[in-house]
Amino acid sequence: MSDTREPVPVTVLTGYLGAGKTTLLNRILTERHGRKYAVIINEFGELGVDNDLVVNADEEVFEMNNGCVCCTVRGDLVRILGGLMKRREKFDGIIVETTGLADPAPVAQTFFVDEDVRRATRLDSIVTVVDAKHLSRRLADSPEAEEQIAFADLIVLNKMDLVTPEEADAVERRIRAINPTVEIRRATRSDVPIEAVLGREAFNLERILEREPEFLETEEHGHHDVEVVSMSFEVDRPIDQDRFNTWISGLLQLRGQDILRTKGILYFPGEERRFAFQAVHMIADGDFIPPAKPGTPRKSRIVFIGRNLNRPQLRRGFEECVSTLTTPEDRQPA
Amino acid sequence: MSFTLTDADSLLGARGFWRETGAWVVGAAFGRDGRGCFFGLGDGTVRIADPADKGAEWRCVQAHQGACLSLAADCAAGALSGGDDGRAVLVAADGGTAELATFGAMRWVEHVAAHPAGVRALACGKTVTLFDGRGERLKALAHPSTVGGIAFDAKGKRIAASHYNGASLWFVAAKEDRPRLLEWKGSHHAITFDPAGEHVVTAMQEPSLHGWRLTDGQHMRMSGYPAKTKSLSFSARGRWLATSGAESVVLWPFFGGGPMGKEPHEIAGGDAVLCTAVACHPQQEVVAAGFADGLVLVSDIASGRVVPIAPPGHGPVSALAWNPAGSHLAFGTETGFAAVVDLSKRG
Repeated sequence: MSDTREPVPVTVLTGYLGAGKTTLLNRILTERHGRKYAVIINEFGELGVDNDLVVNADEEVFEMNNGCVCCTVRGDLVRILGGLMKRREKFDGIIVETTGLADPAPVAQTFFVDEDVRRATRLDSIVTVVDAKHLSRRLADSPEAEEQIAFADLIVLNKMDLVTPEEADAVERRIRAINPTVEIRRATRSDVPIEAVLGREAFNLERILEREPEFLETEEHGHHDVEVVSMSFEVDRPIDQDRFNTWISGLLQLRGQDILRTKGILYFPGEERRFAFQAVHMIADGDFIPPAKPGTPRKSRIVFIGRNLNRPQLRRGFEECVSTLTTPEDRQPA
Repeated sequence: MSFTLTDADSLLGARGFWRETGAWVVGAAFGRDGRGCFFGLGDGTVRIADPADKGAEWRCVQAHQGACLSLAADCAAGALSGGDDGRAVLVAADGGTAELATFGAMRWVEHVAAHPAGVRALACGKTVTLFDGRGERLKALAHPSTVGGIAFDAKGKRIAASHYNGASLWFVAAKEDRPRLLEWKGSHHAITFDPAGEHVVTAMQEPSLHGWRLTDGQHMRMSGYPAKTKSLSFSARGRWLATSGAESVVLWPFFGGGPMGKEPHEIAGGDAVLCTAVACHPQQEVVAAGFADGLVLVSDIASGRVVPIAPPGHGPVSALAWNPAGSHLAFGTETGFAAVVDLSKRG
């Protein structure tokens, strides 16, 4: 391809109605940063958005004909991003706002599945604005609220002025139980630094699991089966690449509807580089990334976020991927 | 194909003329009266070349505030342009403009079509609005989801619109507007009729085509593409459907029982470069094709003999059009190269 232009970064802004999404969007657009953004807003936008280039999207989700029911994409995004690319020199980035009731998976999957979108843009991050006061109620009554937290790379914990520090801590714990690797920024009126929101490169394989998950081995809440939880596993010995591929592809094929997000960093025998892996439902992406800093323990880690996860089964599956080969450098210092 | 070609020794160099416009060439069309070759650009302008005078200045008309999204030859003369400023604009060969319709800010006129019978169609969101040749609004046709492409049949009596899970077929002059729904699960984009009006074919989100034989509703699936097909064109007599989306020009036979159970004919393959645009000659069984590296060629379909028109290097070909007489070919690229080549016989 003679197309050597840099892909345009796209930030997805999610969050429940009234959480402060539009406030954050307008802050991003009005702050003096010298960059121009094209904004794709949903048809039920709460307030006016003050920007030169605003496009109205109708959130049309459709299934791909690839035999995978959870492989849905946003057709309107494919179209709109394609149209925007025809004048890509007019802006530095794109922000996509979704409705409060949107499942972020089709948005994220659009960036992995559609070849034109993949060629011209890159998903920078999914930012979810959360109302600190009302999150627990939202989580109780809407699966979308859980999904928006599960897919987030950054959570803006908004309306801090309306909660006590204890309440805020409780909400954070609740968020971490769903998504252990997410960054949480507390805010009032969505006042987070713009550079914390944009340019995160959260879907860059080199940054997968850069934030270590907290290995909370607490009892799962388990109030009801549909609750989204996360599970993290770690092994000291190197992983056999073929075994891992067989296991993970089978697992995602079978359980991809329930597994929302998967992220992993793996060490293979005798291989200095690390293997980074991520998936959105069944759609997986993986590649070698440069070696970790010298002295970093060669521990392979994997994190699942989803519903109906069976901890013993997942642990066994991951542990059975351990290689029977070991080379001197793979041995852990005693 | 293994030849090296430069601008100087190509047909482009010998018989063509061009401009670097600096903006994505979205569409190209010649006026049906033979006057003017129109290029719709990503910067919202329409550039107008005079096919008969390579030395003449190109006109530049700011048709849209944002980008031009679609451009087609208008009914009798000039071009029809749709933009992401929600407007559809008529552009004449002398650079004169007139607004045909406006749908408001944040609305995109994504597809336009016009027919010499005196009918024009604009797709904006889920609605296709029809106008007559004088600019009178005739009717609005509603669809279940956003329209991915529109096409008139050869007589201008029917219009087909693609959308999610199929396409809708409407009679332009119907008193009561009830579409014939052509169903097939998935997202459908580019759409075309064969010249006899017996088949409708769409390109899908998955890299494949879907067709319907209108006489009996027979489905036709044409797959095997490495990339999405964006450009579809039936040959003048309807024997072949030329398509982009593969590393060759893929032509499906629509005769002898085809395309069902038939292998497509492939032309100009071998360079591992995607074909990005196709346009069949208006009279002969000849196809023009553009590629992702900028190569443009013309080929006789039956013999597969290839005549190179422009060498690689000017950016992925994004627009390609013949004039009604079939004597001139226009093309444009994603990086803003726009050219007209005179291919008429010289006696």
